[in-house]
Amino acid sequence: MKIEIKDLIHTYPTGDTALKGISTIIEGTEPVAIIGQNGSGKTTFVKHLNGILQPTGGDILINGESIKDKTTAQWSKQVGYVFQNPDDQLFLNTVKNELEFGPKRINMPAEEVDRNIAYAAELCKLQDSLEVHPFDLRQTEKKFCAIASIIAMDPDVIIFDEPTMGQDVEGSERLANIIDDLRNRGKLCITISHDMKFVVKEFSRIIVLCEGEILLDGDKYEVLSQPEILKKSFVTPPPVTRVSQQAGIQKPIFTVDALVHEIMKTRKKELSS
Amino acid sequence: MDSILKVEGLSFKYSNSKEYAIRDISFEAKQGEILCVVGANGSGKSTICNALVGLIPHYIDGEREGTVKIFNENTAGLKMGELVTKIGLVFQNPFNQLSYTTSTVEQELAYGLGNIGVPRDEMVLRIQKIAKRMRIDKFLHKNPLELSGGQVQRVALGSSIVMDPDIIVLDECTSQLDPMGSEEIFDIIKDLNQDGKTIILVDHDMEKVARIADRVMVLHEGELAAIDTTKNIFGNLAMENYAIAVPDFTQIGLSLQDNHLYNGEPIMNEQEAIAAAKKVLYS
Amino acid sequence: MAKKSGTFYEPLDSPIERLDPITKFVAIFALGLSSVVFPSVFIGYVILLGLFFVAYKAKILKKFAKFIIGFAIPIMVMLFFIQGFYNPDNVTIIADLGFAQLGLEGILKMLNIVGSLLVFLGSFYITTKTTDTGRMVASFQRVGITGKAGYLILATLNVIPQMQKKVSVIQEAQNSRGLETSGSLKTRLKAIVPLIGPLIMGSLIDVQERGMTLEVRGFGMKGIKQTNFVQAEEAPVDKKIKRLFLIYFLLIIVASIIIRFNLI
Repeated sequence: MKIEIKDLIHTYPTGDTALKGISTIIEGTEPVAIIGQNGSGKTTFVKHLNGILQPTGGDILINGESIKDKTTAQWSKQVGYVFQNPDDQLFLNTVKNELEFGPKRINMPAEEVDRNIAYAAELCKLQDSLEVHPFDLRQTEKKFCAIASIIAMDPDVIIFDEPTMGQDVEGSERLANIIDDLRNRGKLCITISHDMKFVVKEFSRIIVLCEGEILLDGDKYEVLSQPEILKKSFVTPPPVTRVSQQAGIQKPIFTVDALVHEIMKTRKKELSS
Repeated sequence: MDSILKVEGLSFKYSNSKEYAIRDISFEAKQGEILCVVGANGSGKSTICNALVGLIPHYIDGEREGTVKIFNENTAGLKMGELVTKIGLVFQNPFNQLSYTTSTVEQELAYGLGNIGVPRDEMVLRIQKIAKRMRIDKFLHKNPLELSGGQVQRVALGSSIVMDPDIIVLDECTSQLDPMGSEEIFDIIKDLNQDGKTIILVDHDMEKVARIADRVMVLHEGELAAIDTTKNIFGNLAMENYAIAVPDFTQIGLSLQDNHLYNGEPIMNEQEAIAAAKKVLYS
Repeated sequence: MAKKSGTFYEPLDSPIERLDPITKFVAIFALGLSSVVFPSVFIGYVILLGLFFVAYKAKILKKFAKFIIGFAIPIMVMLFFIQGFYNPDNVTIIADLGFAQLGLEGILKMLNIVGSLLVFLGSFYITTKTTDTGRMVASFQRVGITGKAGYLILATLNVIPQMQKKVSVIQEAQNSRGLETSGSLKTRLKAIVPLIGPLIMGSLIDVQERGMTLEVRGFGMKGIKQTNFVQAEEAPVDKKIKRLFLIYFLLIIVASIIIRFNLI
């Protein structure tokens, strides 16, 4: 899977230019996080990846094919998009019917539908709620139903918009597990998130958007080692990284264990010198 | 400090459910404190909030037992309209907290005051004061539907504060906001607390909870698991049993402690964590 | 993000906007009812012409024209078939298609219904476009329409643009699940349930939450005289206009009775 974004511009009918010429290549299966303040253009950007929005300038090539050549419904075979609010997506009377809806729209063979639904339900821990009315699910569980309904369509790319919003510890872990598993199956996950703890834990590549332009784009260690540039986009590094950086440790650190390990290593060096 | 809110044996079962959402909850809130309520999704946090402000039983049907007292007055005998000047509620979705019958932020702030018959002169005074407090004085004449989520949430908080309640209940009021929007709300909450308001706050962000809370109440499957000072809860309680995260700052302290590099009080915020790390590194 | 105002009302500072909301409602009823009772097909269209002038004065002529045309043509076509071919009163046949006959009485009836509908809807459209919601509440309260009734009217008005916004998000979400929503009529018809379903379910959740909001703002308070922040005073010109509409309506009634019963 290769997504080439070529000088992407988007100007809304109101005259606001939300994207001012974005170019990058997203390739392979390493999950990508897109971060930035509200209004930085994150949602506008990802809405181009399955043709919900059409570029007003530049282009996007998905495996060489221009995004403009097909409708969103046609792209949905390859690019899945989980909306921020599951209430915009769900309308059927059981979770199972919701999971079947997408695969049937794209004419997936019946046996494949069953296999994909079983996989999606288990991955999202919905196997015991298949007969439940989505309306009776808790808001956070509804989100997993929406995620499973896209995974069941077996696309190569899955876009998530703020998946951790409102999730507790268990929910965030379940999401992390979903993203891991999808990567192992060769899927590319692209996620918009404000949750920096989740971002540095789950994603190897980070794209930082700011006022419709790419501010930083690269490996998470590289991106987070530039706190001064990050500040411009109003992105605050996660708590552990903030502590390590302010304590004078140069390289970005993301976990408590890594921080304590680094502190002990540095201390030993100081003691021996 | 005096107790302002006293909850005794509170249980509630929603009319469409077989099981109790909360069981036998008893606690007190002290006047002027920030009490945070934490717990996994479904542990009963929102049910407690709704019961405190009277939506249970006045608006939401089910079986309710126990008492909620504010300043020693049992709220069961009060109507919603009487409760709104004692205890306010702000919840998650900013846009569902607009009245949809106004066209400016100013009118929106006045909406509740009109309902309880506050004279217009007083309305004007109160709105001026609250608008500054909520940092929304710049868009008093704008249509609330044109504002960002964070701004609307400040309008919602303002609409609640303008009724001048003694207690404000905030039910995950920052979970749909971006980091900047959420940070602003937390700053305002601290200001309000300094003005003497008692705050009851439900939130998933444990770093924020540790930073802001005087005490923490832990809910688990509808029951009260623990209520204690923030330091005691995060420093000593086996949080994994309740599916709640320990704040990263606290974890740094605990981990340093395990390696015999720290033996002070449980760490509650960024500054303390940095100080502890620096102490090990440079002394 | 593209920003839409999300409400009907747009402040444009026109003479129509400055009128008291109640005056506008009096006008809606006087004009609308007069087009219903007066026994002529043409009155509705004469009033409609007048409304175009009012819309021009209100600085919303283009939008008003779009609304009227967008609404009038489909309704006219529909009623043309129903009334023109199947009205039982059809006596004067003006065209014979073999399988059905087009009757003059039916056509006139169609024109009559459409005329009255357009007068009602057109004047209502102008009113909502030019009236500040807060002022509407305040003036409703002044004349004694308070609490629940007033709330229902206003909240419904304000929620419609919100729903329109929501439909476009739902459409995007369902397109992303492989649902085609544009193209042939069949495709569009098939897409209705997946689009309306989430709208209804979402609205139920919103209604529950908004209901809770109203409760914690003291909406259900009884036994207290409500106050209002917005001051909605009647200007002398409002009184005059209202009186004119009243006289106009009485004259129409009298004229209608005279014509219908051939009193002269």
